[in-house]
Amino acid sequence: MAGKSGRSINNVPESPVKKMIFSWEGILVLLFIAVNIFCAMFSEYYNMSSLLRQMPVYLAEVFMMLPMAYILVLGEIDISVGAIVCLSATMSCIVCNTNAPFIVVVITALGVGTICGAINGFILTKFQELPPMIVTLATQIIFRGISEIVLGSGGSISASNTDGFRAIGGKVGDIPYILFLVVILSVIFAVILGKSTFGRRVYAIGTNRLTAYYSGVHVQKIRFIIYTIMGTVSGLCALFLVSSSYGANTTTGNGFEMDAIAMAVFGGISSTGGKGNIAGGFISAFIIVCLRVGLGQRNVNAQVILLIIGVLLIAAVALPNIIGNAKKALSMKKN
Amino acid sequence: MNKKVISALLCGAMVLGCAAPVMAADKAGDGQKIALVGKSAGNAFFEIAAKAFKETAEAEGATVDVVYPEAATADAQIKVLDNLISQQPDAICISANDVNALQAKLEEAMDAGIKVSSFDSAPNKDSRQVFVNQAGTQAVGQALMDAVLDISGGEGQFAILSATSQSANQNAWIDAMKSIMEGDEKYSKLELVEVAYGDDEPQKSTDQTAALLQNYPDLKVICAPTTVGIAAAAKYLQDNESACKLTGLGLPSEMQEYTGDDDAHSCPYFYLWDMEGLGKLSAYATMALVKGDITGAVDETFTAGDMGEFTITTADDEGTEIVLGEPLQFTPDNVADYAKLY
Repeated sequence: MAGKSGRSINNVPESPVKKMIFSWEGILVLLFIAVNIFCAMFSEYYNMSSLLRQMPVYLAEVFMMLPMAYILVLGEIDISVGAIVCLSATMSCIVCNTNAPFIVVVITALGVGTICGAINGFILTKFQELPPMIVTLATQIIFRGISEIVLGSGGSISASNTDGFRAIGGKVGDIPYILFLVVILSVIFAVILGKSTFGRRVYAIGTNRLTAYYSGVHVQKIRFIIYTIMGTVSGLCALFLVSSSYGANTTTGNGFEMDAIAMAVFGGISSTGGKGNIAGGFISAFIIVCLRVGLGQRNVNAQVILLIIGVLLIAAVALPNIIGNAKKALSMKKN
Repeated sequence: MNKKVISALLCGAMVLGCAAPVMAADKAGDGQKIALVGKSAGNAFFEIAAKAFKETAEAEGATVDVVYPEAATADAQIKVLDNLISQQPDAICISANDVNALQAKLEEAMDAGIKVSSFDSAPNKDSRQVFVNQAGTQAVGQALMDAVLDISGGEGQFAILSATSQSANQNAWIDAMKSIMEGDEKYSKLELVEVAYGDDEPQKSTDQTAALLQNYPDLKVICAPTTVGIAAAAKYLQDNESACKLTGLGLPSEMQEYTGDDDAHSCPYFYLWDMEGLGKLSAYATMALVKGDITGAVDETFTAGDMGEFTITTADDEGTEIVLGEPLQFTPDNVADYAKLY
């Protein structure tokens, strides 16, 4: 009854308003508001302009959540994306330092990402029995290994010509370009997943791959496309990361895969496949971003912030089950 | 007679009493808000400097927030800097995880009117107003060379056990040692037989030490300008009761049981930075920046409390720096005390 939303609270009367509030996305919106009220009370520096100023570094990771949501809906996982970001960032810096025009740098970043993604897709579709977790773990090591070799002993590279990167890090008024791009891409990804045949097929594969295959869905083709897009978006993420540090190093993109997965799962996208939507991931991404900015502004220990997010994540995954069980217990008592 | 003394004392006390409020207002860091950014949490060595920084600045009336990034990466430090720019402290003092990656953010901070100093590990020259350097390359080279001369008795073979062949710090010190050795007649009876590389791995450093002893039976001194190398070599030499002695740069806590003047110990003395002094000097330098006593330009001078007067000089990267001074010597007498610290 709850449609494609990954988590829902059962037995809610079918009034549309109530349905919206009691859907997972509704709860996330309430949580988003609560987090913002909390942050505003907690940090005297928390306001629209400081939030918009601090957001871009985190938004680069929000990009990653979008294709990661598709992969999770497929019932799979890609843990090589952080390494793809590192390799794309490294290569774009190298190209940038040859004084190539900025468009070439952009193409390099996206191109390297796409190729890496396609490699993942190729291996996973050619050798279908291999689990994605293991394959992408291997490519993660390979991609990061290549960047470490390219970066050499110094372990870092800086872009000498920063004009282009400065430009994409720019703002319209107070609003950074990257925020527009995140919103636009989210809408595109949401519409494709939620409204198109392609999206329907992704859900079909995630729900039951064999059934989807026998129903005539080109399972491997779709998997290949999604892994490749994941790579392209990682390249995009790399581009914006470089625009904040004007360089890359061996730790660039460390842990991004887990952040992207966390945002998606928190947003109600099931890691077992077939459930969830982009809207949930989008709202949860902003909950995490706001929370990190708000707590960070009061110098809360970084590990404590991670701990809070971890607790939220477990709560988010467990809450529907707990409520479901409570409901069951209640109805059994009544009987 | 006694009355006179007492009245004189009272008078003195009155004068001081009047002067005290004036002196309080003249504190170097009154009302300043300073943020200290570390490389990562949980580094005991760094925390000594951070603690000294905080105590020094707070004694001068400033408030200090010590902030650590979530990971030892430049990206994580960028997030910390973003947070700090929102808070608008008077100054940020940073130990950078990457030379160049923080430039954009630190420039943004400086544009927002925040003074930026650095210590321990410097960001590039455009990202900072001044860097507080623990010890100049020459000072380290000189101290190590003199230690070798002293321990060897003025002549004979010695070897260097370094980290990796690409380690920038170690290579700079070794080059300094070589040029010092060539430049002065008193080192002419010393012979540098080999520079070995233990890659900062305990096992490889031990193997390299063994190889040095085997290849050069007359070796008198090994100099290991790396904390991993010196600890490994100290253990090997002591366990094998070698006549070859050791010096270099090491951590007192790791070197305590090997430090001694007699034959039973492998290391008579060694060196490392004075992390407490580094934190203290950085605090004074940062407060002087905020007060406007210095801007970070070459040849400016300022007074660092009881540490005396310091002059800003040109750094190796053509930015500016304040050099703390000579590395700290750890002898059998003081190693136990410092071992409690780091």
